[in-house]
Amino acid sequence: MRRAIKRLLGLGLLLTVISMVTFAAMNILGDPLFNILGPIAGDVDNPESVKIIEEAKEQYYLDKSLPERYARWAGDFVTGDFGVRFSATGQPPVTDLIKERFPRTLQLMIMAQLIAVGLAIPWAVTAASRANSKTDKTSTVTAFAFVSLPNFALAVILFYVFSIRLDWLPDVYTATDPFWGFTHNHRLIQNLLPALTLGLGGAAAYQRLLRTDLITTLQEDFILMARSKGVSRRKVLYKHALRPSLFSLITVLAINISYMIGGALVVETFFRIPGLGTAVVEAVLREDFPVVLAIVMIVATAFMVFNYLADLLYGVIDPRVRTNEKESTPIFRSLWKSQTNLEAEEKINDETVEVSS
Amino acid sequence: MTYPTDEEHPLLVLEDYRIGFNTERGLAKAVDGVSLTLKRGQTLGIVGESGSGKTVLNRGVIGLLAARNTVESGSAKFEGEELVGENRQAFWGTKMAMIFQDPMTSLNPVMKVGNQVMEPLRQHQKLSKSEAKKRVADIFTLVGIPEPIKRLDQYPHELSGGMRQRVMISIALAIEPDLLIADEPTTSLDVTVQKYILDLLTRVQKEQGMSMVLITHDLGVARGRADEILVMYGGRVMEHAPTEDLFEKMSHPYTSALFSSIPHLHHKKHTRLTPIPGTPPDIVEPPTGCRFAPRCTYAQEICLLESPPMTQEGNHRYACFFPIGIQQGQEALTTNQQRGHTASGLQIQKKAEAI
Amino acid sequence: MTTHEEEIDYAPLLGSDDALAIGLAPKKKLGLGFWISAFWVVLITLLAVLAPILPIKDPSENYVVTEKAENLRGDLVEKPVQPPYSLSGKHLLGTDKDARDMLSRTIFGARISLAVGFITAILGLAIGGALGMLAGYFKGWLDKIISAFFLVSLSFPGLILAILVVSLLDRSLWTISITIGMLAIAPVGRLARAQTITFAEREFVIAAETLGAKRSRIILREMLPNVLIPMATLSMLVVAIAIVAEGALAFLGLSVQQTATWGKLILTGSDMNSLENAPWIAFGPIIFLFFTVAALNYMSDRLRDYFDVREIYDLSD
Repeated sequence: MRRAIKRLLGLGLLLTVISMVTFAAMNILGDPLFNILGPIAGDVDNPESVKIIEEAKEQYYLDKSLPERYARWAGDFVTGDFGVRFSATGQPPVTDLIKERFPRTLQLMIMAQLIAVGLAIPWAVTAASRANSKTDKTSTVTAFAFVSLPNFALAVILFYVFSIRLDWLPDVYTATDPFWGFTHNHRLIQNLLPALTLGLGGAAAYQRLLRTDLITTLQEDFILMARSKGVSRRKVLYKHALRPSLFSLITVLAINISYMIGGALVVETFFRIPGLGTAVVEAVLREDFPVVLAIVMIVATAFMVFNYLADLLYGVIDPRVRTNEKESTPIFRSLWKSQTNLEAEEKINDETVEVSS
Repeated sequence: MTYPTDEEHPLLVLEDYRIGFNTERGLAKAVDGVSLTLKRGQTLGIVGESGSGKTVLNRGVIGLLAARNTVESGSAKFEGEELVGENRQAFWGTKMAMIFQDPMTSLNPVMKVGNQVMEPLRQHQKLSKSEAKKRVADIFTLVGIPEPIKRLDQYPHELSGGMRQRVMISIALAIEPDLLIADEPTTSLDVTVQKYILDLLTRVQKEQGMSMVLITHDLGVARGRADEILVMYGGRVMEHAPTEDLFEKMSHPYTSALFSSIPHLHHKKHTRLTPIPGTPPDIVEPPTGCRFAPRCTYAQEICLLESPPMTQEGNHRYACFFPIGIQQGQEALTTNQQRGHTASGLQIQKKAEAI
Repeated sequence: MTTHEEEIDYAPLLGSDDALAIGLAPKKKLGLGFWISAFWVVLITLLAVLAPILPIKDPSENYVVTEKAENLRGDLVEKPVQPPYSLSGKHLLGTDKDARDMLSRTIFGARISLAVGFITAILGLAIGGALGMLAGYFKGWLDKIISAFFLVSLSFPGLILAILVVSLLDRSLWTISITIGMLAIAPVGRLARAQTITFAEREFVIAAETLGAKRSRIILREMLPNVLIPMATLSMLVVAIAIVAEGALAFLGLSVQQTATWGKLILTGSDMNSLENAPWIAFGPIIFLFFTVAALNYMSDRLRDYFDVREIYDLSD
């Protein structure tokens, strides 16, 4: 328990640091007043302009000191109010913008992860069970190719093949279309190409990882034992070998969230999906800081929450993590090896092993 | 209950059985022409150092070696059916069962032990979940696992080494196999637990009338539990005899060396153990002649040139030109002691105790 | 029902028993693939560096072709053909809409892409490596601070940080390289730290310490060479990731202004119209980019195997 609390406190601290750095960078390097008012901001000779400037300064708290502004922002942020946009009207408020954009990005992410994991598992199992065979070698080369193909290049290729040449998938995304349905007028289908772009790269990365871990597991005695009990090949693979091989995959799934969000910037822009990715690109270009800050915070929080969830998942998968036994057999070397940064650091730093409940 | 031993229809018959692995250097001859017969209800002890081919032999017979890169030849008949070149999957979990050396690594760490024992029952005997559970609880009681119901839902890491090995034995028992292969079943256990587990194994083997192959590097373990003992070295049979005979009249220098290299209860305090000099042979390019010759204190020139044929004396057989206990053997040893080295150049002290 | 053949072939799922066939591990080699990759990377680097003096077409010249065609009155006159032109002996990768040669544009584009990649790697290795080694060697509070810095930096959404900095500052080669280089510090630093911790406990370092060697000497003479090997294998990966990151920025319209980069070339060729009528505009640079990134990834992979570097850095984006 103590460890869990310590960890949560650490996460909170981390988020605070990230928000401070971002907040400071944007306010010091940028010129908020100019972003809100445009050229009028520099027109200090005209009393009318000065009046507008004063009003704007008051409305956006720009007359306050930087720490005070940060404190105000942070106070609002924890109550779920992300503030006012840095634009002439300040409308819609950042919270509303996020509320509108977030579900689209979420849908895309979920589809992409499902594609990635859904492909990676059977792919890795097939490859690992025939390690070094022709099938395996071909699949290794394929996975390698996908890993080396940047998102934006893959987006162009998939779009060219499936949308332009084959004309199977739609080339427009319409935010007002319903999501669930199987025609070109449903966003589920419109999302397929972008999700595939993110998902294929992910699948290849996961496959490489899972294949290696599976091969290690398949060399364990308990696999031989299961075989000698007459358990079928399929069951050995999916019931005995898969579960203990999932650790690196789960770690990377969590870490990959931030990578996928980076990918979402590119993919949403290319496929013209008005999600968080496009929102942040637009906001950065217009120096609409509150929006950028809000999205940075959402991404960082998501990243940490998923890492935390991954930790909990280890316990679900390996009963020994639950009981916190420090015994490690070869099969779980991959676990210790690939634990997140946090874990590794804790292990090296604290000579004393904490015993949590 | 015991089965009548059926001389006419032995459970397992191997004839010139061979297993090789294709490697980059050539064929590694892990098992090189082994012949043996295992009768129903009997226990065969296979003894040898690591690398002697005893594990490969058994995994080969049961069919648990990777097909790719493995070359199997000769003949192996199980209940009269030829195994070599055939698929043995039908026997797994029904007629053949294995117990592995390390119960920690051979139990799935993320599966409840109950499920691991129930798996073959559910699959092959088509028991319902509750029936299987009841069976497993019974078996757990039989093998001396306390609080069997509670254990069903525990994971391997929550059990001690001895308990884990009992779980392994339960798996084998649940299957009710005709042939049980126990590969160093107690090596990884505490000395105090070892005896209990071995006795348990022997007991259930007798009760269920299974045939058992007990693989071990320790002649002492096989003694008193095996009906016959087969000594292997470098993939070949060195000596094979009923247990009593073997200990009465050890003929092969290797058997004798093996015996002297392990401690015994009847040893006086501070008895010096005699390790066998040298290392196991290269199985890709084995020495010509007798495999053991380079490490043998009896070795003469002929041992380096020719493979000794199997000498059969009743139920006792051995492959040696200069066996212990007969004149040639004694002379060979004396010759080597006098010249201070064997034919292969192995140094021996003049006053070395004849082993 | 499974087929007979399948059952036999896969009795155990792997050659777990192959381990029983003693000492059979094949000799470690870098392999032909590594040298092909290295050749490609060297080739593309040379092409990029020497581009201005190589006898290739001018990347900004409009090579408009004319053909004889009838005008409205029926006379034969020279008329310019509407570019883009497809692949031909004259333009190996075709031309863009302004009839500029794609091959030489791609080669010139490599200059920026590779420069960003190498500057990033050098920055990441120098700063990340130094910080990581200091943290790993001295431990204590210094380690705590540096590790905390790595952690914050890793939790930060990288591409967002990059577009933020780039849009707040400027879009020069250096700004972009330094920004991406900053992102490389933490993953490189973590590896250096882990390696240092491992080596600090090895006999030869302890021996040097016992003999009273200066700390600076120990770090430079004993630790650095051992930490450098894994870092070198990582550096290839960093170059590849940096090239991709620059490409992504360019694709978002946020990379170096004026000069073309691979990402920018792909962007200009990837609108609906170009893809439908002149896919080569996008695909030429895609192929160059892909081979370069793949070659760097592959070299890193092979080196990691060869030197047996166990740390996982796939986690590091």
